[in-house]
Order: sequence, then structure tokens, then C-alpha cells
Amino acid sequence: MRRWITAAAFVTILWSAQDAEWLTYGGNAAGWRYSDLAQINTGNVAALAPRWIFQTHVPGNTETSPLVRGGIMYLTGPSNHAFALDLRTGTEIWHYQRTPPKPLDLCCGEVNRGFAILGNRLFKVSIEDTLLALDSATGKPLWETTLGDYRKGYSGTAAPLVVKDKILIGTGGAEFGIRGFVDAYSPENGERLWRFYTVPDADDPASATWGKRSNLRVGGSTWITGTYDPELNLTYWGTGNPGPDMDGDVRPGDNLYTCSIVALDPDTGALKWHFQFTPHDTHDWDAVADPVLADLTIGGRKVKALIQANRNGHFYVLDRTNGKFLLAVPYTKVNWNSGIDSNGRPKVIPGLDPSEGGVKVCPGLPGGHNWQATAYSPLTGLYYFGSTDGCQSFYKREEDFVEGAWYQLSGGRDIPGEHPAGSFIAIEPATGRIRWRFDMVRNPSGGALATAGGLVFIGDYYGNLIAFDGRTGKVLWRYQTGAQISAPPVTYTFEGKQYIVLAAGQAVLAFALP
Amino acid sequence: MTISKRMLPAGLLAVTAWAQTAAPPGNPGAVEAGAQLFERHCESCHGKGGHEGRAPDLTSGHLASGARDEDLFRTISDGIPGSEMSAYAARLKPAEIRNIIAFVRSRSRAGEAPLTGDKARGEALFWGKGGCANCHAVGARGNLVGPDLSRIGRQRSVSYLRESLVNPGGDIVRGYEGLTVVTRDGKTIRGIERHRDDFSVVLQDFSGKIYSFERSSLRSVTADRSSLMPSYDGRFSPTEMNDLLAYLFTLGRTGEKP
Repeated sequence: MRRWITAAAFVTILWSAQDAEWLTYGGNAAGWRYSDLAQINTGNVAALAPRWIFQTHVPGNTETSPLVRGGIMYLTGPSNHAFALDLRTGTEIWHYQRTPPKPLDLCCGEVNRGFAILGNRLFKVSIEDTLLALDSATGKPLWETTLGDYRKGYSGTAAPLVVKDKILIGTGGAEFGIRGFVDAYSPENGERLWRFYTVPDADDPASATWGKRSNLRVGGSTWITGTYDPELNLTYWGTGNPGPDMDGDVRPGDNLYTCSIVALDPDTGALKWHFQFTPHDTHDWDAVADPVLADLTIGGRKVKALIQANRNGHFYVLDRTNGKFLLAVPYTKVNWNSGIDSNGRPKVIPGLDPSEGGVKVCPGLPGGHNWQATAYSPLTGLYYFGSTDGCQSFYKREEDFVEGAWYQLSGGRDIPGEHPAGSFIAIEPATGRIRWRFDMVRNPSGGALATAGGLVFIGDYYGNLIAFDGRTGKVLWRYQTGAQISAPPVTYTFEGKQYIVLAAGQAVLAFALP
Repeated sequence: MTISKRMLPAGLLAVTAWAQTAAPPGNPGAVEAGAQLFERHCESCHGKGGHEGRAPDLTSGHLASGARDEDLFRTISDGIPGSEMSAYAARLKPAEIRNIIAFVRSRSRAGEAPLTGDKARGEALFWGKGGCANCHAVGARGNLVGPDLSRIGRQRSVSYLRESLVNPGGDIVRGYEGLTVVTRDGKTIRGIERHRDDFSVVLQDFSGKIYSFERSSLRSVTADRSSLMPSYDGRFSPTEMNDLLAYLFTLGRTGEKP
């Protein structure tokens, strides 16, 4: 153990105090994924090339958003792996791993999206839905606490969020009849400080939005990291689908607070406001996509806004002080509503719920924009995100609920001859106008990064990491990483030199200029 | 896929359930539970109810990896290396696998009427008039432009093969999608898509030649909606179609009667 501490201390000594770090999942508390770094810019990005590659040797999709602090990179892998790397060489300083229990009920693999860091502690979830604190110098576990029971379908995939002196985290598992929540924990000992359930108790007035026939109220997972506004002292979390996904008949009503943004007091967990994008969702359109906080000027008025590219096919702008609806504009083909009313409620076209024979709905089950990290650039004033563009047939069947069992009750299928395409979109958040759109064979499977160099990056399904001119959408550079990209890139400097780093397949690649 | 058009009503399940090996006695819930698991995990390849999918017909009683319960359990748990059948041990509990087996047993149609075609005449059609070997291989003979048919009798159901002959574009096997590109100087090349993203295209023509292009060097790139294979509807008489199917059914079934 001593030699690890010595190695970490040695790296720390060499690290230059002026270097730019990457300290949270979203790059800042507002979730921008934007960096002030401009060494790599539109004029020289063509020369960007790999400087080192680290192999995790862990199979599965690597969705991690690495953290960079003090000359060290901290990243998580699938299946409860985590690593600390030396920024100088890309070599491993420590490796944490624990074998997940079997069997696990998971919709989407044993994935993990990253660490949170506070002081000398790292925080991550395990796939079996526990929250862990690791010593940042050694990777040694310090404490662990259970979030949800994996035998009942709960799972952990999101990166935690540090808000002041608390660690905030949600849960996955809405395809398995879980009851979603946002939790806050003590970084010292893992004690739970509060819990907000995204699906209300029976005595809560909001429970009336689930009908009276059944006591079953499930769903509302919280599987993407929220954001935080320190001025308003509010934390914002997107919530997932109600359960069962496709059969809405057993849950008549709006099904609060699923497919919503919830704004919580981070000190107490009290709900300050909510906004529901898709009332009574029957198409698995989670609202977990990054809830990005941006100050906009709309109609001459300055607005503290929350923006989201929602899975239901619309880009939304809300007033983040009170949850008031300001704007919704479709960014892809939408056939399920005839507009959004002045309160933000969709005018749903009847007859488009899933059926036994299948019903064509656009967008399909994956969206629209799904969960992949987005980027907001204050330099260009644009918001960047990927989209799946097309339709699917939605099917349903009826089945009784069994605790912990798959409770989706059928799903979406591609329509023969209609393979959904994809695009990478730059939108003006104050108007919802699409400034540019890069059409793609299929949706970009990775996340976005914007920089003060005028660049925006995205990774695609085919392994290309692509750099665009953020203003025009012109492709300036690309690199074939050799595996489907499921992670967002991040950027930092080491010894004064800017790097772009990205996980692809089982590799972590660090790029820099010559 | 074409499967959805031919969905069987759920009630039919009970009527057709004549089990080759009985479902666990005293546990009728196993078949029902297995049906739900099957729909979720197996149906997209094996078809509604275990047949008419692109993967082997599970209702015929002929299974390449063994048809005993323990064989099925092993196949579902571990998958079949080198095939599209993946391992489910991490996704399904042992009890769930046993329920799926109970469901598959309940769907058995082992007693159905055998194929009426003449496999010798079908073999002659395959290598002669049909021109099948221009693209497909059986053993060491034929061509490898299309899917290798050496074991197709085990890999696909007869109804699936019949549908593929009539409507080859209905379900194109992954890795055999057609692509047409037109170069900036007006040359058109049609072949099988080997790679296509937003920056580059690789395709292979019928002679086996491989072409690699930057997208910027191409005037157009079009994914073929239809299969590169022609439809045999009208090309073959119904008798010839049955003969060819009888031959295809024997492939990979050495020593078995069709």
C-alpha cells in the first residue's frame, strides 16, 4: 500500500498548479461540458493526435466521464471497475474491482458513467446499486451503503453529484418496477441525509395521478447526474418512465413525477417545483437527459433557464427559478402530438399508445435524444446534442407485476425498410431554432464536449471521434478509435498542454497537438 | 421483420400445445412464465412461438445442439460459440431458463406433416437452373458472396426459407446488406456493404473485389432496400419451390430424413 501512496504523492508533486482540471460529471455544476481551454482550436485541430492509450481490459460499453485532478485521471469502467491513471504516461496508478453479484436484472449492461470527487474521496455507484467511497490516493474502499435492492431490480449507473457537503445520487431500474428516488449522503460515513421519491407515497396528493385501481406506482428512475444552481440553492434531476413502460392502462393519470424535471432543495430534499414533459408516458421517453442550466435572453428578458433535449422529440426551455414552461420546439420528426400548449402540456393525438399489433410512433423508443452527454457553449451560444431520427412500431402486452422482474410489457421495434438515421444538432436555446445539423447514418452514441477553441466534439457508433467548428458544423478533424464510442470526451491541461481524453471500447485515448 | 404480420393469437398456444416432452407436471405456470420470457429474450430471433424466425425453428424437434432438456439448458446458458446464439446465464436465472424450456416443449410440432418436395430434384435446381451457387456455398462448392448455406437446414425454419425465396428483402442477414455507390466521375458500383459510416464506405462486389472510398469522393451512397438476391416467386413453379426447400432442409442434417 505504501508504494501506491508514494507514487500518488510523487505525481502530485510534479503536477503544475496552473493546470486546468475536470472535476465533475458535467464539467461544471450547470452541466455545460464546456472548457475555457483554447490551445486546441478551429485553426489547429487538424493536427490533433493520440499521445497515449490506456487499456482497461474490461468488456462492455465504457460510458465513463473521467475526472482529472492533481495530475491524476480517475475513471470508472463497466462491471464495478475503476482506475486512477498518471496523466504523464497514461499508466495505471491503482485499479479497484469487485465482481458484481449474479444474476442481475439490467436493461442495458453493467455500465457506469463516472466518479464524483470531494476532498481526498471518490464516490461511485456499483451496478448492484450501492454507493461507495474510495480513497483517491489508493482506490481503497472507505464505506459503502445500499441505495436499492438489486434483487428487486434496482441498479446503479450514474455518476454522483457533489452539492456542498453532500453526495447526491439517483437509481436505475425503471424497467423492473422500482420506485425512483434522489438521495443525499454524508461523504464522511455514507449516512443517508434525505431521500426524495420520484413516485409519491399513497397519502401524497400527487399519487392521485396514478389512478385508483392499483396501489402499484413504479418507475421514475434517476439514472443521469443532475445539476445544481448555487445561487438558487436548487438541484435539478430528470426522471425516467413510469412502469410498466408500454401498458398505460394499469396507471391512468399523469403518473407524477415520472418523465419530469424535479427541482429539489439540496439541504432537505424538499420538492420546490416539478415540470412533466410527457404526462402518462407509454413510449419509454425518460426525461433523464442532462438538465443544463443556462442564463438566456428570451424576448428581451433575461431568464435563468433550464434546457433539455427531451427524449420525446422536443427541445424545452423552462424557468429554473419556478419550473414555468417557456418554450418547446421539435428537433426531430414527431407524430404523437399536435403541439405543446402554453403550459407545456403536449396535445396528444389519440390512438398512438402501444398495441398488440404495433403502432407507428415518431420518435421511436430510444428517442430523439436519449441520455448521452450534451454540451452548451457560452462562446457560440449554442446547445449541442445527438438525436435518433425516425419512427418505430410500439407493441404492448398485459402481464401482472412481479417484484424485481422485467416490467416493460413489450417495446419498440424498427419498421422494416425504415432504419432510423441520426444527427448531431446545434440549437439556439433561446429560440429552439436549429443553427446547424450534421446528418448521420445513425445517432451519435457518445457524448459531447464544447471548448473555447470554438470546437465541439462528439463520438459516433462507428468509432469516430469528430471535431466540428461549433459555429458552422463543419467537420475539422476525426479519428477512428476502433470501437463504438459510448462516453463523452473531457479536456484538461497537463504541464500546460491541453489534452482531449475519451473512453472508447476498452481503451482510454488522450489526444494532444504535436 | 415479417414476423409481426403472422403473430399467433395467444389462445392458440393452449390448443397446439402437444408436448414432445411434457412441461413439468403440476406446474402449468412454468409454460406461461416461459412464454413471457421467450417473448422478451428469444422471439426477436426465433420468431413468435419459436418458429418462423431467422434463428432455428424450436418447434420441429430437430435441434443441432441437442434436444434434451439438459441440452437446451446448456445451450441457453452458454450460447453457441461462433453463432448468433449468445449466452444467457448472466441474464436469466436457472428457474427462468427451465420455464423457457417448458414453453419450448409446449410449442413442439414434431408430428407435423413432412416436406413434400423431392430433395434430389431440389439439389439439381440449386446447382443448375436456380443459379443459387453463383452467390451461395454448400460445403466447398459455390460462392461466398451470399450467406453460406452448408447448415441452413438446421439454422432456419422451412417457412423462413420459403419466405426468403419469395421475398429476399424481408429479412436481410446482417453482413449482407446491399449498397450502391456512384463515384464523382459517374461510375456505379453495387455490392455488399462491409462498412459504412459518415466518412467512409467499404463494399465488396459480386466478384469479391473490395472497394474503399472516402464519402467525399462519392456522388451518392444508397443503401439497397431490396436484397441483392432475386425473388424466386414465379421463377420457380410451386413444385420446384418445394423441391428446393426439401434440399435446403437436408443441409446440415446428415443422416436425418427430411
